[in-house]
Amino acid sequence: MTRRRACAAALSLGLVWAVFACRQADRLPPNDRAVVAPRADTTAPAPGSLTMLPAAPVTGWLGPGERPFEVTLRTGDPVSALARRFGTITLRTSLRAHTPDLGQYPCTSCHLGRRMVLADERVADAHQNITPIHPAQTGAACATCHAPDNVELLALKSGDRATLDHAYRLCAQCHFSQAEAWAGGGHGKRLDGWQGRRVVMGCGDCHDPHTPTLEPRIPFRAPQLQRPRGDAP
Amino acid sequence: MRPDQAPAVPNAGDDRTVLQKRVDRRRALGILLGGVAVGAQAMTACSPVAPMTDEARETRLLAWREYIKGNYRSMTDAERAETIARLERLAKVTRGADVKIQSTRAQPGVMFGYAFNISKCKGFRNCVEACINENNLDRRAGTQYIRIFEMEDGVIDLDEADATFQHEVPADGHFYMGTQCFQCADPPCVKVCPVGATWQEPDGITVIDYDWCIGCRYCMAACPYWARRFNWSAPDVPVAELNPNQHYLGNRARKMGVVEKCTFCIHRTRQGRLPACAEACPTGARVFGNLLDPSSEIRWVLANKKVFRLKEDLKTEPRFWYFTD
Repeated sequence: MTRRRACAAALSLGLVWAVFACRQADRLPPNDRAVVAPRADTTAPAPGSLTMLPAAPVTGWLGPGERPFEVTLRTGDPVSALARRFGTITLRTSLRAHTPDLGQYPCTSCHLGRRMVLADERVADAHQNITPIHPAQTGAACATCHAPDNVELLALKSGDRATLDHAYRLCAQCHFSQAEAWAGGGHGKRLDGWQGRRVVMGCGDCHDPHTPTLEPRIPFRAPQLQRPRGDAP
Repeated sequence: MRPDQAPAVPNAGDDRTVLQKRVDRRRALGILLGGVAVGAQAMTACSPVAPMTDEARETRLLAWREYIKGNYRSMTDAERAETIARLERLAKVTRGADVKIQSTRAQPGVMFGYAFNISKCKGFRNCVEACINENNLDRRAGTQYIRIFEMEDGVIDLDEADATFQHEVPADGHFYMGTQCFQCADPPCVKVCPVGATWQEPDGITVIDYDWCIGCRYCMAACPYWARRFNWSAPDVPVAELNPNQHYLGNRARKMGVVEKCTFCIHRTRQGRLPACAEACPTGARVFGNLLDPSSEIRWVLANKKVFRLKEDLKTEPRFWYFTD
């Protein structure tokens, strides 16, 4: 009698286990044993990577909370940490990402010791990689922004010179509301993290200075919406 | 019951002891049923009909221990470390994936906030792509946390908005507005959860314990922004595309029948990094930061720009603002 009862108990417990085990097996992800190495985590922080990013303190502007901040530099490695980090994104990172495509960079390869020609058909011939929409819209000449005796420096209205890295000083002469928002954080992009050192992208990192508008393109694929019927959003 | 309050005779009047060792009900059940399971498995192993590999046995055991574990909030640090070790081992054994699961806590003095510039967004959906890759979203079901609405200039009317546009953007005379989980300060989804599987963390992120969720989808019905997604089948992410940097409350492997949602990339933001969407945005329309830090960019935007929130009349207090240039 006791043996029969024990058997019954063991069987019922076994049944319970079987039910649980089956249920658990269903809940496991599909068992694909692809012998593929996991994706190399290219977006991983590599602690301290931001300190490797070439950046310079911004002059003339303070960030939120009246704190100084930094802007990326385009010196050094042409395909810098920045270009790699945003590898999947088509950013107009101007000189930094596109240096290999810019046959005429550095400008001094032609302009060394020569003054710029102000208006001539030879200008367009020599700069076919530049679409001068911005100068055409504003009626600006090359020398409106570039220093006539050194094209790689920017001539400010104050008489100062700025390097291309500090182009915001030039842009802010007209685009002051954008520059104000850029310094505060409402325009442009901060890199790497919300915490710690504040390094932002310069104007030229997104905007081609000669064609500042972002080019239209086909977006990433649309969602296949599993949306509640007749109810939006 | 604390150890110093234990009765003198272990079994006297206390049904919560197993083999003279004080345990809680869940653990006691686990030990009992687990013992039966081990016995049954031993029998199967001895029988010539269904031999079981060591790997399969280990998987069974790990899955069983996972099945009887508690709610993440009630776990001690040691228990959290144990379950993470089990989950990492399970990923290795069942999928051959080397994942690293964090249990990083909220930083003190941090409350996350997000701002979205509807003048800047051009509808490129780089954020959506980054989100899918970062958060290991189901590739087969095509799950996306972020929706970008295309609307005609002048009116914000989400009923007439198109979230499934697939043409060259930006389209003339249109603007774009992205939605995702707004990490509400008074989240209706948390209130309706019958089992306490979803809650708000101290840094304002509403998270889900995927192993505690029963899949009732009350939270999905309660959310006025349609921010949550349900796994109708086990999410399918190829191992080669798996993001190994995971958080227990974030982008770790989900199961069939559980709800998931945006966590502001909890595995990144708790380490001081930006969410993947904010990092991927090619137009700088996304601003992320600490609302409690007066020198943060999000605070600058809130102080200097005209901001609004979606469905503000519902008093869910989203921590996600829209602004214009």
